[in-house]
Amino acid sequence: MSRLWPFFRRFLRHKRELIPGFLCIPLATLGDVVITVVIGNALDELRLGSTTDFLAGIVAIVLGLAFVRGIFRYLQRWWVVAVSRYVENELKQELFDKLVSLPFSFHVKSRSGDIVSRVTSDVENVRMFLGPGMMYTAGAVVMIPVSMGLLLSINAPLAATMVIPLVLMGLGMKVFTPKLHVISLAVQESLAEIGHRAQENFSGIRIVKGYGREAQQVLKFEEASAINRENQIALGRSRGLTNAITHAANDFTFVVILVIGGLAMIDRSLPAGDLFKFIDLTFKVFWPIIAVGWIAGMYPRARASAERIDQLLAEPNDIAEKMPPTQIANVRGALSLRGVSFTYPNAAKPALSGITFEVPAGSVVGIVGPTGSGKTTLLLMLGRLLDTTSGEIALDGVPVRDLSLAQLRGALGYVPQDSFLFSEPYRDNVSFGIDGSLSEERLREVVDLACMTEEVARFPAGFDQLIGERGVTLSGGQRQRTCIARALAKDPHVLVLDDALSAVDTETETKLIDNLRRAGHGRTVVIAAHRLSSVASADRIVVLTRDGTMEATGKHKDLVARDGWYKDTWSRQQAQDEISVL
Amino acid sequence: MSAAKDKKSAKKDADDPFDELVVSTSFDRSLLRRLLKFVKPHRALFAKSFLVLGLLFALDLVGPWLWKHAIDGPVMSAVEAKNRADKAGTTADVSVFLGEFWWWMGVYIASVLVAIWFRYLEVSQLNRTGQVVISDLRSQLFAHMQSLDLSFFDKRPTGSLVTRVTSDVENLNEMFTSGIIVLLFDLVKVAALLVILFFLDAQLAAVVLAGTPVLIGISIAFRGGARNAHRTVRAKLSRLNGYLQEVLQGIRVVQVFRREKQVSARFAEHLAGYLKANLRTIFLFALFFPAIDFAVSLIQGSTLWVGGIGIARGDLTYGEFVQFWFYVAMLVSPIRELGERYNVLQSAFASSERIFQVLDTRTIVANGPKRLAPSALTGHVRFEHVSFSYDNSVEVLNDVSFEIRPGHTVAVVGATGAGKSTIVNLLLRFYDPTSGRITLDGVDLRELDLSDLRKNFGLVLQEDFLFAGTIEENLVMDRDEVSDEALAEALEASRADEVIARLPRGLASPVAERGATFSTGERQLLAIARALAGSPKIVILDEATASVDSGTESKIEAATHELLMGKSALVVAHRLSTVRRADQILVMHRGKLRERGTHDELMQQNGIYARLHDLQFASSA
Repeated sequence: MSRLWPFFRRFLRHKRELIPGFLCIPLATLGDVVITVVIGNALDELRLGSTTDFLAGIVAIVLGLAFVRGIFRYLQRWWVVAVSRYVENELKQELFDKLVSLPFSFHVKSRSGDIVSRVTSDVENVRMFLGPGMMYTAGAVVMIPVSMGLLLSINAPLAATMVIPLVLMGLGMKVFTPKLHVISLAVQESLAEIGHRAQENFSGIRIVKGYGREAQQVLKFEEASAINRENQIALGRSRGLTNAITHAANDFTFVVILVIGGLAMIDRSLPAGDLFKFIDLTFKVFWPIIAVGWIAGMYPRARASAERIDQLLAEPNDIAEKMPPTQIANVRGALSLRGVSFTYPNAAKPALSGITFEVPAGSVVGIVGPTGSGKTTLLLMLGRLLDTTSGEIALDGVPVRDLSLAQLRGALGYVPQDSFLFSEPYRDNVSFGIDGSLSEERLREVVDLACMTEEVARFPAGFDQLIGERGVTLSGGQRQRTCIARALAKDPHVLVLDDALSAVDTETETKLIDNLRRAGHGRTVVIAAHRLSSVASADRIVVLTRDGTMEATGKHKDLVARDGWYKDTWSRQQAQDEISVL
Repeated sequence: MSAAKDKKSAKKDADDPFDELVVSTSFDRSLLRRLLKFVKPHRALFAKSFLVLGLLFALDLVGPWLWKHAIDGPVMSAVEAKNRADKAGTTADVSVFLGEFWWWMGVYIASVLVAIWFRYLEVSQLNRTGQVVISDLRSQLFAHMQSLDLSFFDKRPTGSLVTRVTSDVENLNEMFTSGIIVLLFDLVKVAALLVILFFLDAQLAAVVLAGTPVLIGISIAFRGGARNAHRTVRAKLSRLNGYLQEVLQGIRVVQVFRREKQVSARFAEHLAGYLKANLRTIFLFALFFPAIDFAVSLIQGSTLWVGGIGIARGDLTYGEFVQFWFYVAMLVSPIRELGERYNVLQSAFASSERIFQVLDTRTIVANGPKRLAPSALTGHVRFEHVSFSYDNSVEVLNDVSFEIRPGHTVAVVGATGAGKSTIVNLLLRFYDPTSGRITLDGVDLRELDLSDLRKNFGLVLQEDFLFAGTIEENLVMDRDEVSDEALAEALEASRADEVIARLPRGLASPVAERGATFSTGERQLLAIARALAGSPKIVILDEATASVDSGTESKIEAATHELLMGKSALVVAHRLSTVRRADQILVMHRGKLRERGTHDELMQQNGIYARLHDLQFASSA
C-alpha cells in the first residue's frame, strides 16, 4: 500500500467530492439493509387471516427507501468515479509535462511505446484500483459487517455457518488466481504472435508471392492460430473453474440457510420473516464479496503500475542550466567546436570524437559523411539536446553550457531529419516556434522562401489546411520545405538543417539554398546532408568518417580534387541523379 | 464494379483513423446467415452448449421449487403439529416430518453439486465453441488474403489488414461467448420465467409483467446512450494518445523551439475533452444502476403487497412466496444485462461486416491451366505491346515490347515513376497487363499455373524482406528444391557466407524484426543468396539505391555478377556497372521505352543514355 499512498493522497486532495461521495456509501448500504428488514418484518406479521391494511404503508416505505438509496448510489458513483477521472487527468498532465521537460538523451534511450503505456495503461490501473476499487471496497466494508451483525443477532449459529462456504471460496480462489494469471499471459502472447505473423506477411507480401510461399505461410499462420486457440480454450477452462467455485459458494450458502434455517423453523425458533432476511441479505452481500476479491486481484498490477509512474516522475533532468547563465548581448551566430566527442549511454564506441572546426558568423557549413558517422548527433549537440561527453561547443565564444537554454535555443532554427510536423493546421505548424502570432505577411514570406507557396495555394483550405492523417498528406519534399519555413519564421541566428533537403528535387534544392543564404543577412547555416549537392556551395564542408572522426574539411572544389570518400560519393551520386532525372 | 467498391473501402480505411469505431447500424440477417455457415461444421459443439445452458437453467429452476416443497411440506406441517400439540398440552412427534425434510435437502444438495459441474461447462464449453469457430474463420480469412492480388495489399495500409485477422476476429469471439448464444438464451429464460410465474400465481405474475417493460425500457434507453458516450470517450482517448505520441516523436523540435509550455497547454485541451466525455459516461452509469434497482424494488414492493394479501387470504403459501421471490431475482439479471449484450452483438456485427468484405474480394489475377515442366524451361521472356494502368486512368506503361533471350540480362534504367517496377510486377504476374501480352517460352503468362510460374524466378527486391525465424529458414523459405549443398553454394557465390560467419550461431541465428540487425548491404547479400539457392531460371533484380559502404558495394557487385551468370535476367539498375554488362539496356521514360541496345550501341546512338554516361564520366574524371 505504501507505493500507492502518494497516489491515494492525490485523491484525498479532492475533499469536496470525495467526502460526500464516501459518506453516501454507508447511507445507500443502510437503505439497502433496512429494505430487507422492513419486508422481513412485514412477512412476520402476515399469516392466514391476518389483516393486510398495513401492507400499503410497508410498500410505500420500501419504495421511499429504494428511492433514497438510489439517490445515494447515484451521488456516490458520480462523485467518487469522477474524482478518479480528475486524478487521472492530473497525473497524465504531470507525466506529460515531465516528459516534455526531460532531456533528449532520455528520449533516445527509451522506447516510445513503453512511455505511452505508462501514461495510458499504468495510469488506468492505478485509477481503477484507487477509484472504483475503493468505492466497491468501501461498499463491502459497510455491507458485510452490518448484514452479518444483523444476521448474527437473529440466529447466530446459522449466520456463523453461512460463512464457511465463503471462506472456502476465498481459499479456492487464492490457490487458483496465479494459474489464471499465467494462462492469461500465454493468451496475450499468442495473440501478439498472430498479429506479428500477419503484419510480417502483409509487409513482405511481394517476397511471399514472388517465391510462391503462400501455402507455407498459411500453414505457419494456422500454427500460430492453433496455439492461440488452445491457450484460449485452456483459459476458458480456468475461467469455468472460477465460475464454478464462486457459484458453488453461493449455492452452498443457500444450502446452509435452508438446512439450518429449516431446522430452526421446525424448532419454531426462526420465524418465516427472518428466513427471508437471510435469503435476501445473502443476495445482497454475495456480490460485494466477489467484488472485493476482484479488487484484491487488481492490487499487484496497480502497485507495479504505480512504481512505473513514480520512476518516470523521478527521472532526473541531466541537462542543467548554469546559474546565473552568461548572457550574450548581441548574438552573431559564430560557432566553434573544440575536441568535441560524444558517446551514447551503453555504447561501446564513441559516436563522435575529436571534432574541431570553426563556423564564422554568417557562413554556410556543410557536414557530410557515411550513414552512422554522427552527423545528426553533432547537430543535436549544438542546441544542447545532447551534451558533449568531452570537448566544448561555443556560441560567439561562450560555451553553450554557460548559456541559458532560452538564449541558446532561441538563437537556433532547427530542421529535423524526420521532417516532423504536427497534425494541425498548416499555419500553426509554420508559426510553431513563434511566441505570439505570426503576421500574415511574414507567414507568406517564409513560406515563399521555403518554395511552398504554390503547393499551399493548392490546398483546399489554404494556410488553414489541416495536415496529417486527418487532413492532407504532404509528400516528403513538402514536409521538408514546411519544416524549413517553420525554422525561418523564427528568424534564427543559426539555422541547422539535418539532411533536410533529401526529398527535394535538385532544381528546388538549388533555389532553396540560394534563398536561405539571401534571406538572413549574416545568418549562419549548418547543413548536414546525405546528398552532396546540398552542400556543394557551402563556404566550408566537414567530412566525417564512419567512426565519427573528421576525415577532411575544405571547400567542394578542394574535396573533389582529392581522393577519398567525398570524391567517390560525389561521382556516384552525380551518376545516380542523372539516371533518375532523365 | 467490384474494383470500384474495393477502392472505396480502401479509401475509408486510409482516411478514417477511427475505423475500429465504425459500428454496424442494424441487426443484419444476411450477415448472421453467413456467420452460421461457419457454425455449421461445429453443430455438435453448439448443440452441447445449448444443452449445457438448458440443463443449467433447469437446475436453477429446481432450487426454488425444492425450497417451496421443503417449506410448505415438512417445515409447515411440523410447525402446525407442534402448534396443535401445544394447544393440546402434549408434545408432537415430528420425526416423520424431519425425515421428509432431509429427503428434500438431499435432493437440493444433489442438485447443487450437479450444478457445479454445469457452471464449469457453462464457461468452458461456450468458450471452446467460440474459439473453434473463430479459429476456423481466422485461418480461412488469412488463406483467402494470401490468394488475393497484390493490388489488394498495395491499396491498404498494413495496420488495417492486421486488424482484420486480430481485433475483428476477437470481436467475433466475444459474440459467440457472451453475445449471441447467451442473448438468445436470456430471451428464452425471460419468456420461460414469465410463463412459470403465471402458472405459480397469475395475479402476482401480472404485477411482475407490468414492471418488466419498465426494466427493459431502462436497459435499452441506456444502451444507446452508453454506446454513444463510450464511442466519444474512445475517440477522445485516441486523439489524446495520438497527440502524446506525436509530441514524443517530435520532442527535439518541441525542445529546440522551446514550445514545452505550448504543447502542455494543447495536451491540457485534449485532456479536458477526454474528461468531459468521461463525465458523461459516469453520469449515465451512475443513473443506470440506481434506476434499474429502483425498478426492481418497484416490482418487489408490488409482489410483497399482492403476495401478502394472498398469504393472508390463504391463496398463497410461504413456500410459494419464497419460490416466487427467487424467480423474480432470476428474471431481473438477464434484463439488466440486455443492453450490454446487445452492444457486444453490434460491434461483432460491425467486425464481421469488415471480415466478409475481405472474404468477398475476388482475385483478378487467376491461375491458368497450363503446367510447366521446369527442366524443359529455357527462360525466354517476351513483352508484346504491353500497356498497363493501376487505376484505369493513368497509363504507367505504354506499348512496351522487348524480349529477354535465354541466358541474357536486360537492364532497365529510368527515373522514379518511369515504369521500371511495373515491368517487374507484370513479369511476376502480380498484376496483368491492361493490353498486350507477356509470354514465357511462348506461352501467355495468364495461361500458366501461378505457382509453377513463380517457382522459376529468383527475386531480389530493393526493400528486401527478412522474416522472423532463423537465417536458414529465411534462405530456404520452405522450398523443397533447396538442398543443403545448394544453400552452401549459394552462400559462397553470393559472399553472404561472410555475413553468416560473423554471427555467433551461424545459419541458426535468429533474425530480429524485419532483419533490423543487418545493414542494408548485408540484407542485399542475403537476398541474393536466397535467390541463388533456388537455382532459378530467370532472375529479377531490383537493385538497392541506399548507400552502402564501398567494401560491401564491391561484394554486392560480385554477388550480382554471380547471380546473373547463365540465367535470363531482368534488372532494374541503379549501378552503372550492372548496366554496362547487360546484353540489352532499356531506357524508360514516362511509361515509354525510349532507347534500347547494348551499352556500345546506345553510346553510338548518342541519345539520353550516352549523355548520362558522359556526365558521369566527366564528373568522376
